[in-house]
Amino acid sequence: MDGATAPPSAALARIPAARWWRGLPGALIGLAVACALAAIAPDQGYYLNIIMQAVTYAIGVAGLVVVLGYCGQISLTQAGFLGIGAYVLALMTTRLGVPFLVAVPAAMLVCGAFGLLLGFASLRLGGHYLAMVTISFQVILTLVLTNWIGLTGGPDGVSGIPRPAGLAGARAYLGLCLVLLVLVMFYAWRLKLSRLGRAMQAVRDNEIAAGTCGIHVFRTKVVAFGISALLGGLGGALFAGAFSYVSPDQFTFDESVVMLTMALLGGVQSPFGALLGTFALVILPEWLRFLKQAYLAVYGGAVILLMIFMPEGAWGWAVHRFWRASRPIGDWPVPPLPLLSMQGAGPGAPALEVENLAMHFGGVKALDGVSFAVRRGSVHALIGPNGSGKTTFLNVVSGLYRATSGTVRLGGVTLDRLAPHERTRRGMTRTYQNIRVFRGLTVLENVMIGAERRGNDVQEPAAVIARALAALDFVGLGREASLPVGSLPYGHQRYVEIARALAGSPDILLLDEPAAGLNSTEKQELGLLLRRLKGHGLTILVIEHDMKLIEAVADHITVLNFGKCIADGSPREVLSQPDVIAAYLGEPQPA
Amino acid sequence: MLAILPQLLYTGLGIGAIYAICSLGFVLLIRAANVVNFAQGQFSMLGAYIMLVLLVGLGVPYWAAFLLAVVLMAAFGILFAGAVYWPLRHRSQLTVIISTIGASILLPNAVLAIYGPSPATVPGLFASSGFQLGPVFVDSQYLSIIVVAVLMVALQYVVFEKTLLGKKLQATSQDKEMAAMLGISVVGMVLITFAYSAALGALAGVLVAPVLFVSVGMGATLALKAFAANIIGGYGSIPGAIIGGIVIGLAETLGAAYISTPYKDAFGFVILLAVLLVRPRGIFGELIAEKA
Amino acid sequence: MTGITRRAAMLGTTAALAAPAIIARAADTIRIGVTSPETGAAAESGQYMRDGINLAVAAVNAKGGVLGRQIETIVADDQTTNPGAVLAFSKLASDPSMVAFIGSIRSTQVQAMAPSVLKTAKPMMIGGTDPKLTHQGNRWLFRCRPNDTYSAKTIASYGVHTLGHKKIALIASTDAFGTGGRDALTAELKALGITPVLTIGYANQQADFTPVVLRIRSSGADLITSYFTYETDLGVFARQLRQLGVRTQWLGSPSIVDTAALELAGPALYGTYGVADYAVDASPESKAYAADFQKHFGKVPDNQSSWAFDAINILAIAIGNAKSTDPEAVRTAILSVQGYKGAEGEYDFDQNGDGLHGYSVVQNQAGKINFIKYVEFPKPS
Repeated sequence: MDGATAPPSAALARIPAARWWRGLPGALIGLAVACALAAIAPDQGYYLNIIMQAVTYAIGVAGLVVVLGYCGQISLTQAGFLGIGAYVLALMTTRLGVPFLVAVPAAMLVCGAFGLLLGFASLRLGGHYLAMVTISFQVILTLVLTNWIGLTGGPDGVSGIPRPAGLAGARAYLGLCLVLLVLVMFYAWRLKLSRLGRAMQAVRDNEIAAGTCGIHVFRTKVVAFGISALLGGLGGALFAGAFSYVSPDQFTFDESVVMLTMALLGGVQSPFGALLGTFALVILPEWLRFLKQAYLAVYGGAVILLMIFMPEGAWGWAVHRFWRASRPIGDWPVPPLPLLSMQGAGPGAPALEVENLAMHFGGVKALDGVSFAVRRGSVHALIGPNGSGKTTFLNVVSGLYRATSGTVRLGGVTLDRLAPHERTRRGMTRTYQNIRVFRGLTVLENVMIGAERRGNDVQEPAAVIARALAALDFVGLGREASLPVGSLPYGHQRYVEIARALAGSPDILLLDEPAAGLNSTEKQELGLLLRRLKGHGLTILVIEHDMKLIEAVADHITVLNFGKCIADGSPREVLSQPDVIAAYLGEPQPA
Repeated sequence: MLAILPQLLYTGLGIGAIYAICSLGFVLLIRAANVVNFAQGQFSMLGAYIMLVLLVGLGVPYWAAFLLAVVLMAAFGILFAGAVYWPLRHRSQLTVIISTIGASILLPNAVLAIYGPSPATVPGLFASSGFQLGPVFVDSQYLSIIVVAVLMVALQYVVFEKTLLGKKLQATSQDKEMAAMLGISVVGMVLITFAYSAALGALAGVLVAPVLFVSVGMGATLALKAFAANIIGGYGSIPGAIIGGIVIGLAETLGAAYISTPYKDAFGFVILLAVLLVRPRGIFGELIAEKA
Repeated sequence: MTGITRRAAMLGTTAALAAPAIIARAADTIRIGVTSPETGAAAESGQYMRDGINLAVAAVNAKGGVLGRQIETIVADDQTTNPGAVLAFSKLASDPSMVAFIGSIRSTQVQAMAPSVLKTAKPMMIGGTDPKLTHQGNRWLFRCRPNDTYSAKTIASYGVHTLGHKKIALIASTDAFGTGGRDALTAELKALGITPVLTIGYANQQADFTPVVLRIRSSGADLITSYFTYETDLGVFARQLRQLGVRTQWLGSPSIVDTAALELAGPALYGTYGVADYAVDASPESKAYAADFQKHFGKVPDNQSSWAFDAINILAIAIGNAKSTDPEAVRTAILSVQGYKGAEGEYDFDQNGDGLHGYSVVQNQAGKINFIKYVEFPKPS
């Protein structure tokens, strides 16, 4: 099947997302600036200390940007990771004589291990549960650092931490730190544009939809924690070398809160925002020392005000205010969207089969033994009055709920124990009744997430973008690709969702009330779209209320009532059955 | 060493009752306004300081100072709702959590700027410090804490289950839109909940002040432990809040005496971690999942 | 709102960068840097320290200063934390016109600053009593209080021989000071053939000592000995001790007679004994200091201020004797100070930098600190 030809590279090059060398010039400039700054920095003393603290902290705060800003997971233990990195480096260099440049990666690895551990805690928890786990970890860590005197030196800390040979001078060491900071910034920035970064942002914006778009949500969260821990470890190790002294009270819960504030102040979704926030909050208290006791109170007040008035932080606000949407992508020949269902068994064989599917929530039988089959290449509608179990059905089929009993088969393969992302991998994509787009991303990025699902035939970036553009073009939103998805009107957001599902070249597309919230013109357009999809031979299972739409596109209708299947057949057959009419109108019609 | 066990159980129960009262205030805010209030402990700290000012600074009689502190904090709760919660009520939960974290830094440091860091003492409820009951020295302040905790739980049960106001509060917490449509003033209910939570926090503060002394740092650990108690007992569950508080109080006291004194604060959190990993819904709670 | 944030940040940065230029330069003063807690848990005690320093400086300057120049002290807030102390010292040390420094009374903070002091190579007068501070090869630390080798000897001999107890409970902070004190006391008791029935550590700035008190109660000890770093911790512990009905005798390190502890614990400390480096009635000089302090500040002084008072005077004498502010010369001059009668006692500096070698034993009688006797030990050669 030919569908993976990338558009001409000249045209692709106009799309920022496709350039592999993206950001590299900026990074090189950054490196040059870093070296220049190091050369002119003060040689010793107070101001050097301030700069060192800001630089090493900024590396740690970048970790928060990844886990909280990109992935939306609350971590209140970033100072703890800094502490682990600092202490591992301190102990390895002072007690074991390990060279500094070997101890740094060691510190990062130890931290990374703890980060993965914490990430595992996020398996079944989120939000405030996760906050509590991270706080508990932080509190316990501080207690261990303070009280395990044999290992850590207790409240007196560890002093005399050496610097790497050859880089021991203040300027040289600062140069090292600045260079690493630039590299970390570059990495964090590129991460956001990468597939992993998109996955993290999807998890942040809509965890459920991320799963059904093929993203392994749990693994993504664990990786996010791991990265934040690695960065915290790096920052901490460099911090230890900078000050030659570490003690437990530098890495307490209060410090984690300070780091969180730094990230928020600058803008937690951008590493540059975090850098800005870090520098501001390292320099500011020194300037605020004259306020003595009150400066932390000012901090606390600032956090509240920030959340109310400037939740995206200073950088985020600036970007919002001054960034203009980049130029539209422009026209170039788009290869057709490959929409033919899987080869092999001819049209007519079932794409999807359910047998005796039951879903009980306690005593409520949402689904009570539903069986039917969706034929390949057909548009199959599932209708029924409110509360009949339609959305529950879709949720069970897509893996969001585990069925109480019964079987679901996709192309002959039993799906029963598979998680949503695994079902997507096998070619099932879906949309949601209450649109679930990823609001923090652009239209193109939303659809790219659909295109780059595992199991799809495009994986490398340029091809993914091409596929996404093709899908957008198919639904008529090609020109809106670089807009933030939240700026689109409701109806168009629905099309983005559909495009996202289409970009995954599904074997079956599940649509949950696609016409909900659309006006009659939009519904007509939707009907046309569905017909085009049908014309391409795509297998579709659609839940709908709008009878005109159903009648226009459906090949086959199944009717649910009270979780049971009460009719199954062609539209003409089904819609004239008395049971069906009674279910909708509430009383039997005279024959 | 076993000889001190009865004493430890008593003290553990006493301190657990404090965590339980704090946790109760915490649970209510979660249920009524879906707010995870990291500043809950600061209500206790402020309540204790208000009592200190009234009692020691202004010479107000003991019981009057006690009650006035609680009442004033209820008013503060409304102020808090307006400043920290109301502007963010439509935003994500993360935003609100962070805002309450900001408050939890602002409040103790503001008091610090006014009062300085040295702890202060307030006398206990009773002139006598306690009496010996077999192997246990029944400290009168801990006794009052336990009694008040029991009373508050009973009161809360009666109000929530048996009065119209309680039903309205429950309705608001379960479905704001529906409650509003039924004519319940959602704003009113939310404000009442904040006021009551703050009052509970203050109550915990004035009760524990004679034992732990009045200091700007007293709120922070109380908040964390109240939160942990909540999760251990069952997120959002009222009996869970009580049981969770007692579990932490006992774990700390027994752990500090028998295992390790410096790690006292860790025991509660270790139990919390264990609960979160093994049975995240806690003892009495239901795991709250997002509706697909 | 956002405009203010940006402007404030820019102003702040400018001010921070311009700050050194703004620091007044009076070329004819002798500048002494002081790291002292202005914020943090020990802020109140920090005020006493600064009061003692100011008293001494005023007196010295009134008599014409040193080498014809007035003494000027520059204070940096150490925030009562180790990193705060390190930062405060680095701020002071970056000024090349500093002649000498006065450091912290808290050993853990001195320990943190020590490497930087070594690098700066100028004298620092300290108040921390952890014996290790002057025994780890740092030639720039000079102690204006007797170290804990002597407090341990005093506690051991008075507790065992004079008070007649054999079952000793030892409670100590887990920081440098507490650990040093605990180790010293354990060694001294061992030399007397006694092993403590309970040795218990606690982390600084605890809110609650109930489990500690209960363990002490059940240990059957007849004497409690203690090394508390912070008076606030001591006050809380004392009250909880009495609340839980423990009436055992108590002989503690100097924090037990500090003003802040007395204010917090009140009657809970009545009857307790302490070893004190400063006691009002120990000598004519200590009495004179108390009267002077009382006159200026309306309070009875304690060891938070007395050592710093002595430190300024010793520095003045040393610089005067050296006839220069050159660090090595001043150092030699400090070590040559012998027989100087300060508020804390008679200073005879040994080669390690310790100036004092004895402790007073005092008792808290209904809130008043009564001097019992002074115990002197031979100076190490």
